[in-house]
Amino acid sequence: MSNKTWLVARREVLENIRTKGFWVGVLMLPIIMVVSVALPRFLEGQKEVRKYAVVDRSGWMLAAIDERAAMPDMQRVLREAIDARRDDPARYAEFPELLRKFVDTLDQIWDNPALVPDPALPEADRKRAREKKEDEVLEGVAMFIGDPSAFECQLPLASMKDALRQASERLAPLRDSVQQWWKSLPPEAASKFEARTAKKLYERIELPTGGEDEVFEALNQKIAKGDLFAYFVIGTDPVLKGDGLRYASANLTDGDLLDWFSRHANAVVRDKRLDEKDIDKLTAQWVQKPLVVDSRKIGKGGKEEESTKADKARQWAPMVFAYILWISIFTITQMLLTNTIEEKSSRIIEVLLSSVSPLQLMMGKIFGIAMTGLLMVGSWTLSFVLIFKYLPGLLAIKFDFDISQIATDPYLLLSFLVYFTLGYLFYASLLVGVGAACDTLKEAQNLMGPISVVMMIPIMAIAFLAQDPNSRLAVIMSYIPPFTPFVMMNRAAGPPTLMEYVTTTALLLVSIVIVMWAAAKVFRVGILMSGKAPSFKDIIVWIKAPVGQVPERTHGPTK
Amino acid sequence: MTDALTLDHVSKRFGSHQAVDAISLRIPAGSIYGFLGQNGAGKTTTIRMIMSIYYPDSGQITVLGEPNSESIKDRLGYLPEEKGLYKKMKAWELLAYFGTLKGVPKADAKVKARQLLETVGLGEFSDHRCEQLSKGMGQKVQILATIMHDPELVILDEPFSGLDPVNVEMMREVILKMKRDGRTVIFSTHVMENAEKLCDGIVMIHRGQKVLDGTLAEVKTGGDRGIQIDYDGDSSILRELPGITRINDSGKHAEIFLATGTDPQEILKRLVGRLVIRRFDLREPSLHEVFFRAVKGESHE
Repeated sequence: MSNKTWLVARREVLENIRTKGFWVGVLMLPIIMVVSVALPRFLEGQKEVRKYAVVDRSGWMLAAIDERAAMPDMQRVLREAIDARRDDPARYAEFPELLRKFVDTLDQIWDNPALVPDPALPEADRKRAREKKEDEVLEGVAMFIGDPSAFECQLPLASMKDALRQASERLAPLRDSVQQWWKSLPPEAASKFEARTAKKLYERIELPTGGEDEVFEALNQKIAKGDLFAYFVIGTDPVLKGDGLRYASANLTDGDLLDWFSRHANAVVRDKRLDEKDIDKLTAQWVQKPLVVDSRKIGKGGKEEESTKADKARQWAPMVFAYILWISIFTITQMLLTNTIEEKSSRIIEVLLSSVSPLQLMMGKIFGIAMTGLLMVGSWTLSFVLIFKYLPGLLAIKFDFDISQIATDPYLLLSFLVYFTLGYLFYASLLVGVGAACDTLKEAQNLMGPISVVMMIPIMAIAFLAQDPNSRLAVIMSYIPPFTPFVMMNRAAGPPTLMEYVTTTALLLVSIVIVMWAAAKVFRVGILMSGKAPSFKDIIVWIKAPVGQVPERTHGPTK
Repeated sequence: MTDALTLDHVSKRFGSHQAVDAISLRIPAGSIYGFLGQNGAGKTTTIRMIMSIYYPDSGQITVLGEPNSESIKDRLGYLPEEKGLYKKMKAWELLAYFGTLKGVPKADAKVKARQLLETVGLGEFSDHRCEQLSKGMGQKVQILATIMHDPELVILDEPFSGLDPVNVEMMREVILKMKRDGRTVIFSTHVMENAEKLCDGIVMIHRGQKVLDGTLAEVKTGGDRGIQIDYDGDSSILRELPGITRINDSGKHAEIFLATGTDPQEILKRLVGRLVIRRFDLREPSLHEVFFRAVKGESHE
C-alpha cells in the first residue's frame, strides 16, 4: 500500500469512527445480547406475586397439591445447597443448619458408582452426564420430602435403589422438619436460596368466611378490585367424576398460574386414580414412559458418536454467524457507497485527485472502510467472548456450557473475520464503482438493484443450507464468488473439505481482483463526471475502454 | 528564464467532442499566466491534463521540467473550479490532511496548518469544523490548502468565480503574494478584467484551440489603438458617430475603434456638449477587444 493510499485510508477511519452511526453499530450487538439475556430476568424479578384462592369441594386435594407443588422448589433449593457445599463454603454457611444436615447426609450417595459417568466421554460431556443423573436423584429426594411413599416409585436409577433406600432411612428423621421449614419460609427469604421458586411467584390466600355463595361473591369482588389474581374451584370428586377444576380470573391471557396449578393437580389426580384401580405406581410409570430415541451421529471416521445438544448447537451456530456476516458486510459497504457519493457530490474529489491517483484514492477508501468494518466486527467478536465469559458472573446466571463454548470457538470466529474481509472486498469494489458513477444516492439505487438481488439470494438460502450443509446446492453455491463468503460460513458445520476451502477461496480471490480492476476503470472515468447517471451499457463501455480514453455516453452530456 | 510548463500539441477528446485540439504553449517560471476563454472552451480540461487528472490522447506535457507530471504532483498546487471541503473535519485537520497527501510530514503539516490559518486571520477558527465556517472563510481555507506544501506551480481554475468583491481583492492579494514567493501561478478565467490587472502573460483558448498567446504587451500590440472614454449621459449618440468600426459600450465606459483616417480629435469634438466626458484617451485595445477580434466575431457571452 502506497503512502498516499494509507493516508486516504487513515482519514476514512478517523472520520467514520467519529460518526454516531459507527458507535451505534459497535454497541448494537452487545447491547442486544445483554438486554435479551437480562431483560426477561429483570421482568421476571419485577413480576408481582400472583395471589390466588382455592375452594376445595373434594376436601383432600388442596393439601396434596400444595405438597406436590413444593417439590420442584425443594429440588432447586437442594441443588443450590449441594452446589454451594461443593464450590462455595461461605454461601453454604448461609443455609439453615437443618438443611445442611440434610444435604450432608445426602452427600454420601454421590459417590455411588451409578452416578459416575463413563470415563471415555470428553470432559464437558462427563460433567453434563453427571449433572443430569444427580438431578434425577434430587427429584426423587424432593418427592421424598413431600411424601415418603413416593420415594420408591420415583427412583430414577434402578442400580441405585439400595443406596437410596439406605439414604432415605437416614434422612427420614429430618424429613418432617425440612418440610416444615420450607412451608413456613416467607417468599423473600426463600428467594435468597433460589431465585426461581414458585413460592415467590404464587401465594395462596385463605378463603373468606361464610356460605359458598358469600365466598364466591367476596372472591369476585376481590378480583374486580385487583386484590386477587384468580381463584380455583376443585370439584367434589375430580378423581372419579368429570368435575375437575374451575379457574376464574380477570386476566385469562396470563396463563402461568393456571399452568402451574393444574399441572400439579393433574399429577395428584393421576396418582389417586392409579391407587383406586390398585395399579402399581412403578408399572404405571413404566407404561407411560415414552419410547427412548437415541440419535447417533456417524463421524468422519465412520465411528458412532453420541449426539448431544452441543452437536445441534454446532450445526446452527454457523447460520447465526452467516447472518451476522451478511448484515455486517451489507452495512459496511453501504457506508462506502454513501461516502463515495458524498465526496463526489461535495466536489472534494478533484482536489484529492490533484494529489493522489484515482487508483490510490479508490484503494484508500476501500481499505479505510475495511478497517472501520473490521474495528466494528472485531469489537463484536470481542464483546461476544467477553459477554459469554463474564456476563454469567455479573448477572448470576448460567449460560448453556456448549453454547458459550461454540459462540467463542476460535475456528468459527477466525473464519468469520476472514470471510468478512473477503466478502467485503468483493462487494466494496462493486459499490465503490457504483458510487463513482453516480451523483446521488437515488441514482445509485437504480444501479444497486441487480447487486441487491444477488445479495438477497444467500440470505434467503441460509436457513435452508444450514439444515444440510453438504447438499449439492450448498456445494454449487460455494463456488459462485458472490455467495462464497456467506455459504462457506454457513457450511462450517459440515464442514467442507480442505479442497473446497482452497478452491472456493482461490475463485473468490480471482474474482475480487477482476471486480477491483473493473471498479478502478469505472472509478477513473466516473468520478469526475456529473450529469445523468450512466446506464449499464455505458459502464460496460467504460470498463472496455483503454485507460486514459474517456468514452462517450449513450446519452447525456460529457464533461 | 526556464519554463514552468510546456504543452506540445496536446489533444483530448471526449467521445465525439474534441475538448482540446493540439494546444502548444510555454509558461515561464515565476510569472502569472491567465487562461482565458469562454465557458466550455477547454480551459478546465487543459488544466486537468496538466494536473494529470486526465491523460492527454496525444501530445506532450512537461511540468517543471518533468515529462511525467504524475511524479511531481507534490510540487503542484491546485484549486479546482468546483471546490468542496470535508464538512466534518476541523479546518486545521483538513489543511494538514491535504498537506500530508502532498508529502508534507505529519508533524510539520500540523504546525503549518495553524500558521497559515493565522496569517489569513482564521487562527481562532482552526478548531472549527468546516461546516461551521462561513462561505468566505471556507474559500480562504480552500486556497490555503493549495499552498500547504509550498508548491512551485499553482494552478487555480476560475478562482474569482462566486467571490464577493472583498474576497476578489483577497484572492488577488494571494496571487500576487504567490508570485512574490517565487511561485508560478496559472489561473483560468472568463472575466477579462481579472486577467488584465494581474497577468504577465495570457493564453486564449477558443473551442479547444489556442487563439492567442504571449505577454500582455505582445497580445495587445497586434491590434489598432482605440479611444477609451468615461462618460455620463445618453450613449445612443456614440452609435451615430461617423468613421468608427466598433464600439464596446458598458454604459459609463466605452471603447471606440476608428476606421483608418478618422481623427480622434474629431470624435472628441462631436461628443463634447452631448455627453459629460470625464476621461478621454487613446491607448491599446482592452483584452476584451483582443479576445473578440481573435475569435473573429463569433458569438460570445
